[in-house]
Amino acid sequence: MSVAPRPLPPEAEIKAIIGHQFPGGPYTVAHWENFLLTECTGADLLPDGMVHPVVLFHMPILGSRTTIGEMFGLGQAESDFSIGIESYDWEMFKPLIEETPYKISGKIVDAERRLTGHGRSHDRIQFQFEVAEPDGTLAARTTITWHYGRSQSV
Amino acid sequence: MSSPSLKDVPPLKNVKVGDAIPDWLMESVRPERMRTMAAILRDPNPVHWDREACAKIGFGHRTINQGPLGLSYMVNMLHAWAGPGCVKRLYMTFPMAVLDGDRITAKGKITAVREEGGERFVDCDVWLEREGTNNPLEGRATIKLPD
Repeated sequence: MSVAPRPLPPEAEIKAIIGHQFPGGPYTVAHWENFLLTECTGADLLPDGMVHPVVLFHMPILGSRTTIGEMFGLGQAESDFSIGIESYDWEMFKPLIEETPYKISGKIVDAERRLTGHGRSHDRIQFQFEVAEPDGTLAARTTITWHYGRSQSV
Repeated sequence: MSSPSLKDVPPLKNVKVGDAIPDWLMESVRPERMRTMAAILRDPNPVHWDREACAKIGFGHRTINQGPLGLSYMVNMLHAWAGPGCVKRLYMTFPMAVLDGDRITAKGKITAVREEGGERFVDCDVWLEREGTNNPLEGRATIKLPD
């Protein structure tokens, strides 16, 4: 799904999304999913059903019951092409294992407008997700920081 | 200075600040892998699967590799060196895009060796290198050394 171009949103609307919590829910990485993901990285499957850490991008997003399209929309992205990545931060406390029903939660932890010179700006939005084992033990935490580029001058 | 191959590196118990981590090479970033990733990620962004869309924004009919795949090359380098499950933290920034057909080398250098709770950890700078350009990805990693 593409996001339709939009005018510069008010800064207050961007700040208002701080604290937005996604519904959350369970996510189980099936063997086929781990197999295909791992193949995409150019590596062999890890031993003992261990899931390749590359899963830490989409597993938290889909498990918290959101989508990349919704995340673009929450920040009122002008288009798919207007998103830039500032950083991805993956903290891994326990190995993730195939066919385990992890519990996922996620929220928006920061959102601010930044001037980039010549009257141009972007909105810097930070999402944080947690992946817990079935007994509640924290297995991983990920932080996505994206820049929502704005074509209209401030 | 070139990085050592895996067979040349010192045992992990002897690692020290300044040591290079053996390189991991992705000979050619393949567009079909980006398409598979886009499907698994439910990623609607056409820059990962539509060369025409990429041409319109100045990437010359080459699709843009997903950011997480760039991180995965670092993970593969670190796993090859210190074993599966060794990565405890990976923080990555994205100065430049990786494109289909790129030849990419994951590289790393140790910046700290420390002990916490009886376990040994290594901090390192990690990056992706592409000949003729600045590094497309740069960041830091924390590795737990095997017992």
